[in-house]
Amino acid sequence: MLNQFVTPDLQPAAPEIFLLIMSCVILFADLVVGQVQRWMMSALTIITLVGAAVLTYVTMDGQVVLTFSNMFVDDLLSDFLKLVLYVAVIAVVIYSRSYLVARNLEKAEFYLLVLFSTLGMMVMISAAHFLTLYLGLELLSLSLYALVAIDRDSARSTEAAMKYFVLGALASGLLLYGMSMVYGATGTLEIGAVAQAIYHGDANKTILVFGLVFLVAGIAFKLGAVPFHMWVPDVYHGAPTAITLFIASAPKLAAFAMTLRLLVYGLFELADQWQLMLMMLAVLSIALGNLAAIAQTNLKRMLAYSGISHMGFMLLAMMSGVVGGQADPFGTLNAYSSALYYSVAYVLMSLGSFGMILLLSRAGHEAEMIEDFKGLNKRNPWFAAVMMVLMFSMAGIPFFIGFFAKFSVLLAAVKAGYVGIAVFAVMMSLVGAFYYLRVVKIMYFDAPVDTAPIEAPLDMRVLLSLNGLAVAVFGLFPDSIMMLCTTTLVRSL
Amino acid sequence: MELALIIFLPFLGSLGAAFLPPNARNAEAWLAGAAALAATAITVSLYPQVAAEGVLRLNLPWAPALGLDISLRMDGFAWLFALLVTGMGTLVVIYARYYMSPADPVPRFFSFFLVFMGAMLGVVLSGHLIQMVMFWEMTSLSSFMLIAYWHHRGEARRGARMALTVTGAGGLALFGGVLLLGHIAGGYDLDTVLAAAPQVKAHPWYPAVLALIALGALTKSAQFPFHFWLPHAMSAPTPVSAYLHSATMVKAGVFLLARLWPVLAGTDAWFWIIGGAGLCSLVLAGYLAMFQQDMKGVLAYSTISHLGLITLLLGMNSELALVAAVFHIANHATFKASLFMAAGIVDHETGTRDLGRLSGLSRAMPLTAALAVVAAAAMAGVPLLNGFLSKEMFFAETVFLDRPDWQRFGLPLAATLAGVFSVAYSLRLIQRVFFGPPAQDLPHTPHEPTRWMLLPSALLVAACVLVGVVPELVIGPYLRTATGAILGADAPAYSLAVWHGFNTPLLMSFVALGGGALLHGALLARRGATTVPLLESIDGRHLFDVTLTALTTGAERALRRLSSPRLQMQMLLIFAVALGGALLLVKPFGIGWGANAPQPLDPAFALLWLVGGACALAVAWQAKYHRFAAVAFAGGAGLATSLTFVWFSAPDLALTQLTVEVVTTVLILLGLRWLPRRDERIAGPGGATPRLRRSRDILVAGGCGLGLAALAYAVLTRPAVDGIAPFFVQQALPQGGGLNVVNVILVDFRGFDTFGEITVLGIVALTVYALLRRFRPAPESMRLPDQQHEQDGDASPRDSQEAMLPAGAMMLPAVLVRLLLPLALLVSLFFLLRGHNAPGGGFVGGLILATAVILQYLVGGTHWVESRLRIHPLYWIAIGLLLAAAAGIGAAFAGAPFLTSQAWHGTLPVVGELHLSSVLLFDLGVYMLVVGATTLMLVAIAHQSLRSQHHRTATGDTR
Repeated sequence: MLNQFVTPDLQPAAPEIFLLIMSCVILFADLVVGQVQRWMMSALTIITLVGAAVLTYVTMDGQVVLTFSNMFVDDLLSDFLKLVLYVAVIAVVIYSRSYLVARNLEKAEFYLLVLFSTLGMMVMISAAHFLTLYLGLELLSLSLYALVAIDRDSARSTEAAMKYFVLGALASGLLLYGMSMVYGATGTLEIGAVAQAIYHGDANKTILVFGLVFLVAGIAFKLGAVPFHMWVPDVYHGAPTAITLFIASAPKLAAFAMTLRLLVYGLFELADQWQLMLMMLAVLSIALGNLAAIAQTNLKRMLAYSGISHMGFMLLAMMSGVVGGQADPFGTLNAYSSALYYSVAYVLMSLGSFGMILLLSRAGHEAEMIEDFKGLNKRNPWFAAVMMVLMFSMAGIPFFIGFFAKFSVLLAAVKAGYVGIAVFAVMMSLVGAFYYLRVVKIMYFDAPVDTAPIEAPLDMRVLLSLNGLAVAVFGLFPDSIMMLCTTTLVRSL
Repeated sequence: MELALIIFLPFLGSLGAAFLPPNARNAEAWLAGAAALAATAITVSLYPQVAAEGVLRLNLPWAPALGLDISLRMDGFAWLFALLVTGMGTLVVIYARYYMSPADPVPRFFSFFLVFMGAMLGVVLSGHLIQMVMFWEMTSLSSFMLIAYWHHRGEARRGARMALTVTGAGGLALFGGVLLLGHIAGGYDLDTVLAAAPQVKAHPWYPAVLALIALGALTKSAQFPFHFWLPHAMSAPTPVSAYLHSATMVKAGVFLLARLWPVLAGTDAWFWIIGGAGLCSLVLAGYLAMFQQDMKGVLAYSTISHLGLITLLLGMNSELALVAAVFHIANHATFKASLFMAAGIVDHETGTRDLGRLSGLSRAMPLTAALAVVAAAAMAGVPLLNGFLSKEMFFAETVFLDRPDWQRFGLPLAATLAGVFSVAYSLRLIQRVFFGPPAQDLPHTPHEPTRWMLLPSALLVAACVLVGVVPELVIGPYLRTATGAILGADAPAYSLAVWHGFNTPLLMSFVALGGGALLHGALLARRGATTVPLLESIDGRHLFDVTLTALTTGAERALRRLSSPRLQMQMLLIFAVALGGALLLVKPFGIGWGANAPQPLDPAFALLWLVGGACALAVAWQAKYHRFAAVAFAGGAGLATSLTFVWFSAPDLALTQLTVEVVTTVLILLGLRWLPRRDERIAGPGGATPRLRRSRDILVAGGCGLGLAALAYAVLTRPAVDGIAPFFVQQALPQGGGLNVVNVILVDFRGFDTFGEITVLGIVALTVYALLRRFRPAPESMRLPDQQHEQDGDASPRDSQEAMLPAGAMMLPAVLVRLLLPLALLVSLFFLLRGHNAPGGGFVGGLILATAVILQYLVGGTHWVESRLRIHPLYWIAIGLLLAAAAGIGAAFAGAPFLTSQAWHGTLPVVGELHLSSVLLFDLGVYMLVVGATTLMLVAIAHQSLRSQHHRTATGDTR
């Protein structure tokens, strides 16, 4: 029996395997394809992602399937998140292309690193084991560090990458340390088995709780929640905008998955403890994110701080799943679906906002200052409207997706009894509305400083318009995504 | 269904209007007018049903997952407002058709106008509080677009922005309040909330709810202290002002207060907050209105004042006052809209609204003048007009207020004073614009506008008169339905007669009229003056700007204090937070040691750890000043760790650790020289002195280290969980045929992993080589260190077979190291061969040989070594990998899966007993690969020094 080499069931991991193979194909294609046919790289990347999406969609059956000795799980949650992930990454690839070409950064490395980090995120999303989770996280992080530094001649990018790397390694260390303590207490690293061990009271609670602190610290770093947020503005600002677009969008989905898998799937019995920690993170993030965003003149930094506050909102939902140690199934489900909803909505808005910066950037000009948006309405009314929709949505103004995301989170928080925090969050969004509206005001009322025509390829224009429309249309029909989120979690929890 | 139609018609119309061509003025007006008129007609037709059934409801599924449905609810009060919104909308559309100039982009105007109408209807007809808030925000946004319609004008932009900031922020506050309110009431449905009045008032959060909702309502209705945005919003086109700032948007605030009156009113807090804001607005805005130079400015302040009156009535906690408030809402809408329209006509026909320039227009435009005079009289509260009636009711309420004495006397006085102001500014407006000598220098020659422009105003004035003369007939039943909808069965009895006999309120009215006329006489003397006496310095806009600036600078300052771009600070924060988080848990959870008894402490071992700890400390100490020393000390700490493994009978681990330590130390040493020097341009950390900083750092570092140690101790003293270790220990000999469990795991049980690992190692080596091949170090690090410079002083010719050993002091070690190489080879083979049963193995063996080679490089110098030692790392890597693979595939011949170990045990002559296993072949592969990979990386790094010398000679720097 021991000599038997059991081939694991590879089908649940088919999208990952496909992506890996295609990455290698692209790696070799780069050797063959010269500088001339550079467009093939992005085309191949998109084909790869579409292929993975088809594989994911075809094998989606709502069953929870474990494979690789219970280290890898394929459930509806992972399928849903992966599908959103593909869409986000495709958008990143399309938005980034002209920007990278203009800066002579469009190398195969970019596409490969994006694909590898996508693979890392997919592994994280499907992790059923601490090790798988960590592997995915490291694959993602290492690719991201390299991506941030892709513009090697820029001192700012290099500095950002260095900081990101050092702090990221530190956070990974904390996470790993936490995992080792959980292992010490439960004797297993399998997420399901950890939950079982705690449920049966076999685990040493003291050790577990200390492990939890480090786990939460690691998660908070990945999400960019205060006080583990320091890297966010520096990295968003320092990285080339195309990379910032990537970092600010897709990885949030993976981070959400990580939070859910670790805390809810694995350590649900400790909800009392981690709720308190998430609460502190959420309150601090919402407050600092919004207040600090006001002081920014750089749009990328402003969006970085606003991202911090958005992650605070997501955490607000995550902590609302359990009330006083009592999990009411409906309330729990509701809270986690709103967290999922919020993550998806944020990714959509974040893609659009950074996409707008890319749209206005051209060779030799980074449209990353808020002032660069002055008078956009006169230069291009349509994209001014798109940006306005995005800003309104981020500010949480009704009939855009952002409002309903905020609303569902607040509702969950109020239901869980965190009324004071909910009101606090609303007050902070009020502060937040100020800096989003400032962008709108500048676009519509100020005279343009930069009068160059907007040069962007058609595919980017179309996709960006669709992105803006999605934010508006999903705002008019908010139920669609929310239902998806709820169904997903019902079938996966 | 009709309810849904009322709301959707404007939105549909808006969509249509947006896509019409820019110059289609008539088509736009027809479309908008038709939408508004249809909505009006539906509203009117619904009255019998509302009167009979009380409440009409309609629920359409929309977002059940969010608990949101489109929930429409029309009762008498909502009906009254819906009629105001739709009816007034129709009139304003007609008016706007003639007001807007052909050059204006009308599609935008009508499109936003209809969106606003739809949103306003949404607010009024919402049966769900959250939905109401959504529409509420929508009115803010669409009004922003309407105020900023002429966005080329700076003041329009400023006004629009201010209006949006104030009302939008108020809307969010309202959102918070509504969330709380719904939570207390147990649902967001309006009926549920209205039914939960007692719970709400008794709830500890009631003050918070009240404050938040009041913020929303008072900002929207431009009440003190948030009134300043309304006068600035007057830069909007006049139809917008007539619609938004008289009848609809600013009424949303009082609408909400009235809507929630049964739930929130009746407390002292309500009286002081709502009543206080109302009274301040009433008096203050009335006073300010008297000194405005802009016609619309007068109207804006008078609107604030009248809304203050309504707010005050709502705040008085009496049912009759509520009736008066509702009545005045309707009256104010009619006369104020009509006055705005008149102001717009004057502006349109003369080109100015400046009270200093306008004069005597009654001759040129008698009809407009007549309408304006009647409307202004209604505003002033002249008998036989609608304003008089509601004002009379207001006076009566102030007189019969059931409060302590000073309030009972103070309030009527204040009310009368406000009445005096109201009469004075109405008189001043009319007198300035329409009477006196004809104005001379107007931009246009004034004449009467087209009939269609006068019609809406005329209809409104007719309503004023009709209500004023026969109130019971014209508005009585509707008012009763409306107030009944709010108050339910408690609706008080009241009479809407014009004549109530001689009483205090009538006296107050007459005092107001007389006083107003006198005050106006006094004011005449100030013709042309633009300042406001006494209250000059109060400027809301200034306050607004200051607040916003303070917010921005405050945020900047806080950010500078709280964050740092320095990596060190950021790391410190992460460590400090992790430490703090863990410390917080110590109290509730304790960190008791487990039951496992610690081993007795051996002094030798303690000493070892002391040395190791000292080394670690020294690393931290020297890291900044002497990197070389730091690396050496780090090696010392590593040595202590290796010895610890030996101590705890893990020689295998110790060996590996030791060799890894050596190799990494050497690699770091080789890499150290490429680190840049300290850059003096980088500013040192400001703030705390170095000593303080260092003490803080050592505290955090020490805390973290001790914490980690404590946690590790706590885990170690507890019984270990059953892992996979026992399995390997038991099965190593029977299944793997080896006594060294670690080695058996590496080459047998987990052979596949090892195979993967060595492959990766090979790839890494190749990558490092490929990356470094082209690496050009930074120029500032090109200079050789002094020691090395001396050593290379008589460097032998490069690239020759005859490279000499270093002379001088380095001669002796160089010779010794040469002797070491064959010895090291033997030792490494020894470790490789015995690995299966005793400490050792391919990995360790390979590292030992690699270390020996490194030493050759270090001591002998690159040239010397490379001219003699023919080592081809690439072949080593390839052969190693192939050997390992062959060992794996060999298993297939025995019919076993990949990498299954095959052993042969027998006796040879001479040698004796011999145990051969395919595992040895595999381990040999590992050995060769490790040697190859390590050496390859090393060569790549070593060649950097050659390159830097090339560079130096090339640039002619002989130093």
